[in-house]
Amino acid sequence: MKYFCGIDIGSTATKIVLTDEEGKIAAHTTAPTGSHFHKNAVEALEALLCRQQIKRQDIGYIVSTGYGRKLFKEADETISEITANAAGARNSGEGAGTFRTIINIGGQDSKIILLDDEGHVKHFTMNDKCAAGTGRFLEMAARNLEIEVDELGDYHMKSTGVPATINSTCTVFAESEIISLMAGGHSREAIVAGIHYSIARRISRLAGKIGIEDKVFFDGGPALNRGLVASFEDELMREIVVPETPQITTAFGAAVIAQEAFAAEGEKINV
Amino acid sequence: MHTERFERVKKSTNLHFTMEADEALRKIEDFPSNPGAMGYFYDLFRSVYANGGSLTHKGTIIGTMCVQVPEELILAAGAVPFRLCNGAHAFDQAGAEFMPAKACSLARATVGMLHINRSVHKERLGMVVVPATCDQKRKAGELLREMGYNVYILEVPSSKNSEEARHYWQNSVKRFTAELQHLTGRKITKKSLGTAINLTNEARRQFRRLYNFRKISPPVVYGKDALLVSNAYFFDDKERWLQALTDLNNELELKALKGESVGNRHAPRILFTGSPPVFPHLKIPLLLEQSGAIVAADEVCSSTRMLYDAVAYDESALYDMIPSVADRYLKPCTCPFLVLNDDRRRRLKDMAGQFAIDGIVYQIFSGCHLYEMEQRTIAKTFADSGIPLLFLETDYSQEDTGQLSTRIEAFLESIKARKRRK
Ligand code: SF4
Ligand code: SF4
Repeated sequence: MKYFCGIDIGSTATKIVLTDEEGKIAAHTTAPTGSHFHKNAVEALEALLCRQQIKRQDIGYIVSTGYGRKLFKEADETISEITANAAGARNSGEGAGTFRTIINIGGQDSKIILLDDEGHVKHFTMNDKCAAGTGRFLEMAARNLEIEVDELGDYHMKSTGVPATINSTCTVFAESEIISLMAGGHSREAIVAGIHYSIARRISRLAGKIGIEDKVFFDGGPALNRGLVASFEDELMREIVVPETPQITTAFGAAVIAQEAFAAEGEKINV
Repeated sequence: MHTERFERVKKSTNLHFTMEADEALRKIEDFPSNPGAMGYFYDLFRSVYANGGSLTHKGTIIGTMCVQVPEELILAAGAVPFRLCNGAHAFDQAGAEFMPAKACSLARATVGMLHINRSVHKERLGMVVVPATCDQKRKAGELLREMGYNVYILEVPSSKNSEEARHYWQNSVKRFTAELQHLTGRKITKKSLGTAINLTNEARRQFRRLYNFRKISPPVVYGKDALLVSNAYFFDDKERWLQALTDLNNELELKALKGESVGNRHAPRILFTGSPPVFPHLKIPLLLEQSGAIVAADEVCSSTRMLYDAVAYDESALYDMIPSVADRYLKPCTCPFLVLNDDRRRRLKDMAGQFAIDGIVYQIFSGCHLYEMEQRTIAKTFADSGIPLLFLETDYSQEDTGQLSTRIEAFLESIKARKRRK
């Protein structure tokens, strides 16, 4: 049995996915990227292999992606996170053609990718100039509200009144805005909903610029946040599809590309 | 106290500039199989910029702030044209003292450089010619005048499509001719202008040879080298430059005959356009080629647009020659300061065909509205013909290099995937 490995070294977390010969996810893991991210990535991969009792030589091909992709020298190939994310989304079981737009929210950037009819990247845009609309913004907000990041969705769903308005996009200013909203008597629920709407609105504006189509595929860790998904549905006025484990879509895509590359190499040898 | 502080700012700015120049040159040279004849250009930049050397030009130097200044006239008046458009982040920061935070890096760096090194430049530059093209250049001209430079504003029409515009421009060029003669004290004659036209036409002929070599696939020359050659034209002695380029072309010709090439033969072929890349800010072309693409062609005023067209004249009476020179600058101009700039779109489409282009990379400097405004039309033109366009907003700082390289790689990956499917 051969396995294929995709490793996505992001700014906060490193995600690793192993796929089998049928292209199905056999195992995956997430570890903090940390400052010694090469060491951490290698250790996370080794731990995953050990847990799954897979031998290193059974891995046919490794593709790395994400900010740290170039420094992971064990990889056979590196690929940008845009191409990897598109490949992951395309193979997520939704099937190409059912959606043409992907929104990905990462730790320090957000991306919008448009696919053509065959599911290949046609156009993309990124917001990487400021933290607004990224995972980091949500982390900051949760910290200020003294709740956990994964509680944000529940708070949002419990909110009943008018969401509070968050105007700042800069984390520093947004931080003081949140503090003064709390002091002004707004409920945590209303503030959380307000934060989600402000992110969804920003990204929708970016999406409007490149022209989105059909249903929208939403991935990246923050896609687990039901409140954020609901805000996106309202702002984009479209159906949103969230995969089962949205945080590993990019790593899965890298594994898909690893399998393709392995197959292409095999052909070369057989010829 | 004031001057003491200025001297310190000057010292650190020039140090940072030298560091930038050195880093850019290292990156440019860090490619396999550089042509031997490029050595002249690498050394030239190293001696002038990275080693803090200076230029030795005989005669009056006339600084130009844009490609719209007719250099034949400057040469014919016995002076030396010197294009001032600057590409350094260190000078961009120095210029921030005078220009808005959202101004284009190129205009700001040019002002910054002329401010920091004013003691040399004021003495060396007999005149600074500022064509009234884009707003930033025009206003930069006013700032330079306040700094004490002898600024000449060369009026340019905002359209080239009417007979009136042509007359307006020809008159403007005539006035400029008179001013030049007044400054240098030398009359422009049929003979001196003829010599100047022959020299610049010869330079452009050689440049077109290089341009044509860039059509060959698999490629025989990297775009970064072609850009360096045209950037050298800004300040190098024309005859020496011509000789060095002739040598390079001969070498490339031989290479092509022997079937040698640089880079991968599946390398995506890129057409580069937008705000002009000027040394040391060759960030995006370099990132492209470091990521495995070939900048096969460019439509920028710091390179092909500066050197492509020649002066066409057949009657050799002086009163005919000057308008012929003027025409060479207006007719083929595709800078977006012109309204109804359909020519640029047409030119880009032609180039995309001739150079077998796989993708367009469109650079704008933050604050350059003109190029940004035209981006949409151009993106649409190419979307219709199935050629993808990557739009990149940047400035002279290196802070965005990581993000830019992710975008560029994703773009190249999608081009490669597309090519494979064909
Ligand atoms: S961009 Fe246009 S205005 Fe600016 S230097 Fe080039 S030709 Fe002149
Ligand atoms: S890049 Fe744009 S703003 Fe800057 S000089 Fe050229 S036309 Fe003007």
